[in-house]
Amino acid sequence: MEQAYITEGTSIDKGENARLSSFVGAIAIADLIKTTLGPRGLDKILQKVDPSDQSITITNDGATILKSVHVDNAAAKVLVDIAKVQDEQVGDGTTSVAVFAGELLRQAENLVNNRIHPQTICDGWRLARETARKTLEEAATNSSEDTEAFRKELMEIAQTTLSSKMLTFEKAHYAKLAVDAVLRLKGSNNLDHIQVLKKPGGSLRDSYLEEGFLLDGKSPGVGQPRRIEKAKILLANTSMDTDKIKIYGSRVKVDSMDKVAAIEKAEKDKMRRKVEKILGHGISCFINRQLIYNYPESLFAGAGVMAIEHADFDGIERLAAVLGGEVVSTFDRPDLVTLGECDIIEEVMIGDDKVLRFGGCKSGEACSIVLRGASSHLLDEAERSLHDALAILIATVKEPRTVYGGGCTEVMMAAAVDRAAQETPGKRALAMAAFATALRQLPTIVADNGGYDAAELVTELQAAHAAGKSSFGLDMEKGCIGDMKELGIRESFASKLNVVMSASEAAEMILRVDDIIKAAPRQRSEMGY
Amino acid sequence: MVSGETYNERSKGKDVRTSNIVAAKALANAIRTSLGPRGMDKLMQLEDGSVLISNDGATILSKMNVLHPAAKMLVELSQAQDVQAGDGTTTVVVLAGALLDSASVLLRKGLHPSAVAQYFLQAAETACDSLKKVARLVVADNREQLLHAVETCLSSKVVSQNTDLLAPIAVDSVLSLLANNNRTVDLRDIRLVEQVGGTVDDTELIRGLVLTKGSAKSGGPKRMEQAKIALIQYCLSAPKTDMDNQVVVSDYAAMDRILREERKYLLEQCKQIKKTGCNVLLIQKSILRDAYNELSLHFLAKMGILVVTDIERSDVDFICRTLHCQPIAHPDQLDANKLGHAELVEDVYMEGGNNTVVQFTGIANAGSTVTVLLRGSNDLVLAEASRSLHDAQCVVRCLVQEPALMAGGGAAESQAAMALREHARTLSGQDAYCLTAFADALEVIPYTLAENAGQNAIQTVTELRAQQAKGVVGAGIHVKTAQVEDMFAQNVVQPLMVTTSAIRLATETVAMILKIDDLIVVR
Repeated sequence: MEQAYITEGTSIDKGENARLSSFVGAIAIADLIKTTLGPRGLDKILQKVDPSDQSITITNDGATILKSVHVDNAAAKVLVDIAKVQDEQVGDGTTSVAVFAGELLRQAENLVNNRIHPQTICDGWRLARETARKTLEEAATNSSEDTEAFRKELMEIAQTTLSSKMLTFEKAHYAKLAVDAVLRLKGSNNLDHIQVLKKPGGSLRDSYLEEGFLLDGKSPGVGQPRRIEKAKILLANTSMDTDKIKIYGSRVKVDSMDKVAAIEKAEKDKMRRKVEKILGHGISCFINRQLIYNYPESLFAGAGVMAIEHADFDGIERLAAVLGGEVVSTFDRPDLVTLGECDIIEEVMIGDDKVLRFGGCKSGEACSIVLRGASSHLLDEAERSLHDALAILIATVKEPRTVYGGGCTEVMMAAAVDRAAQETPGKRALAMAAFATALRQLPTIVADNGGYDAAELVTELQAAHAAGKSSFGLDMEKGCIGDMKELGIRESFASKLNVVMSASEAAEMILRVDDIIKAAPRQRSEMGY
Repeated sequence: MVSGETYNERSKGKDVRTSNIVAAKALANAIRTSLGPRGMDKLMQLEDGSVLISNDGATILSKMNVLHPAAKMLVELSQAQDVQAGDGTTTVVVLAGALLDSASVLLRKGLHPSAVAQYFLQAAETACDSLKKVARLVVADNREQLLHAVETCLSSKVVSQNTDLLAPIAVDSVLSLLANNNRTVDLRDIRLVEQVGGTVDDTELIRGLVLTKGSAKSGGPKRMEQAKIALIQYCLSAPKTDMDNQVVVSDYAAMDRILREERKYLLEQCKQIKKTGCNVLLIQKSILRDAYNELSLHFLAKMGILVVTDIERSDVDFICRTLHCQPIAHPDQLDANKLGHAELVEDVYMEGGNNTVVQFTGIANAGSTVTVLLRGSNDLVLAEASRSLHDAQCVVRCLVQEPALMAGGGAAESQAAMALREHARTLSGQDAYCLTAFADALEVIPYTLAENAGQNAIQTVTELRAQQAKGVVGAGIHVKTAQVEDMFAQNVVQPLMVTTSAIRLATETVAMILKIDDLIVVR
């Protein structure tokens, strides 16, 4: 029948088939990444198969894994998408969100098999979601008023985030790096001001926070000062060879060598005037995005000005932000140009490389985190982990409410949802109970990954909560339950709320699907997931 | 394992981990035989057919075309050790292989991989701390002690018979960078100039500059005393504008006149240079136009100026810092103040290599840079000598950064192993077990040393343990006498940093490999 209106190659899955395909895809994706969850979660190697690029990535980050895998299933793609959104919004909890959505769908599969209509399940979930949200909001605490306590909370959040990553063994060190960096931002929340520089060599604990900004691989020209105090910096994007006439085929026609020499001299003079104009800004450092050739370089050297050429685009944009200057390309109006300022520019060595350090920048927020480690894989993963920690800290600075981690809130929400289910008449209650079960799956998986008896631990945890010990969660060090308050395991409220909300919404969306229409694929060779 | 195999299938958990461990161990085994003074070299035939002989772990691994992800990590590991310590690049990989071996036993006993990784990292810290306690402090300028460390490093290299010559060169070259209380050593300030011909014995340290291209063959002087050196970045050739230019020649007379003008133009420029008192001229290479032409070289020769052409722009900084001159980018900037000074500049013919180099010696307050002129009978020897010398310089740099020495010959590793075992006895639980396993893995170094020296490895290693237990901190395997002796007394020493960095980096990588449970093929 469909052939009547669809193009050749298009396929349609209907009803049962469509739902089955959604469940299978979403659950498979969730199963793929669920082993990375928790402090004892394991990592994945992502191997590229492109003949020209066989590089590998080693990661524990759900968003990175999901972004890379080749997915050919509509529901699985939805999960990948929510993980991406979670990554952009709060930066952490990317694995949790996909795993929770997967678990919800696993429960839904059972309900659907028991002849409960998907819409009824959705209704029940919505009630459950509201209950969960209320419970979470009640459980959240806010101590942003007290600077000391807030700092301690931030440290705990950073450590909790990092504990599931490769940096878990050095989490105290990195948590301090991340918290210091974020607190320097003083609420401006601009991650651009935190630069992460990766330098192979050294050990992970050799990583450190450098106040100010580091420009990698650039050094001042020959004969120019190597160290400037109280620097005034002009950032530019201009060509420093010659200002050519940009008309195609323009050329000089002369009839003697002398005249060629005269024109050459005129060209040089023009350059000299340009340099003089630049110097007219009263600067002590000139940073250009393009090359600075020998002649202008020596002019700058003569004037005792540090000139740095060929700064990369990211570098110069960030420098502009950090130094409080602007990037200019004409130099006629020195009075209108904002110069960048910093206390000191000097060369420092990191491992085998020299970098240029801009210390005491105009906007005191800027800092650089220098990551050291045994291999580039380690460094890449360290950067991803640190990025997650920074993102979650910034999210926490924006929304200072926090909750306990270690599965504490999940069990608490599940208990509340269960209670609500008992008061709800009708089939919706079944869906709510399923929601609670799915919530309890998160601590179960974490315990499973640690090689502990998950069923035992989670039931103990439930009992503890029922007995009013509402701050109890999983202690993954010892393999028992413990007081999260004492252990300092804390998570961001925003992240947790986002996990519950977006995962259940996504699961609902997938559940409501009854037809999958696949457009005819473009002709190309692909390997199915 | 090493090449030709591709992994396309997705495998799970244990299989992935086993495959990683097997691959990494295979790689470690491949270079194990090159460890120590009696270690053997590897000959590598590269893709383009050229041949390379080396004993240096980082070099061997970087040329091996490994495919397996875990093997790739070990290659990077040796490179990180190269950056961090410069020496011990083979040790670090062998150590990683042994740690993985130990770990696989622990995993089979049912320990959780993250737990093993965590305990290993703790063990590494304990080991490094214990070494720090027994290491001997050196004064960074104590040349004698530095020499011993460098001699140990060189003893395992192809050029070991030239140790007497190369060790002082390595020490002196780095020490000379330390002038002016400068504590950071940038090895790029030491230039290694490799010249085929002669033997390694002819290698010398030159407190000055060597340019590999001889002076211009235009009939000018080949030797200049009391040289005043100018480095110009502009071109001594017919003028050229940045815009396209076209000289229109309408008749024969005009052509004649243009030739005359060009001659006059160049002569004028050369005279200007002469006027500054310059008698040695370095000309930077130009890609936009000819940096010089026959005519200008001829004029300069006539004026008695020694000319060296084709200076790379990237070298300008080094040259300027060595000769204390400033580059001159425009004729207007010619100034006697920008010239550098050297007692003697001369062409030196490299015998057997059919090449001439220019040597600059007798530079006033030299110190920020130094040049080593390496000689060797063929490219292979030369390249290996250069790598060995680099390793030796890294050893000195390590000692400058962290002035502590540890005994060589496997003493450091067995000392750490002993400390770990002792510490393990105070613990109960999984960590004690992991610490002992870690200690066993550390002993792979003395074991391999003995094995490569053709000794009875078990006999030697147990004797070593016995000596260490008696409190001889420096007890190690003296490969030349095939005895266990106090290596401090034998002056076989190595920087502490080489050992600690090897232990830390190897453990970090092993922890990473252990934590992997899946291999996913992605786009």
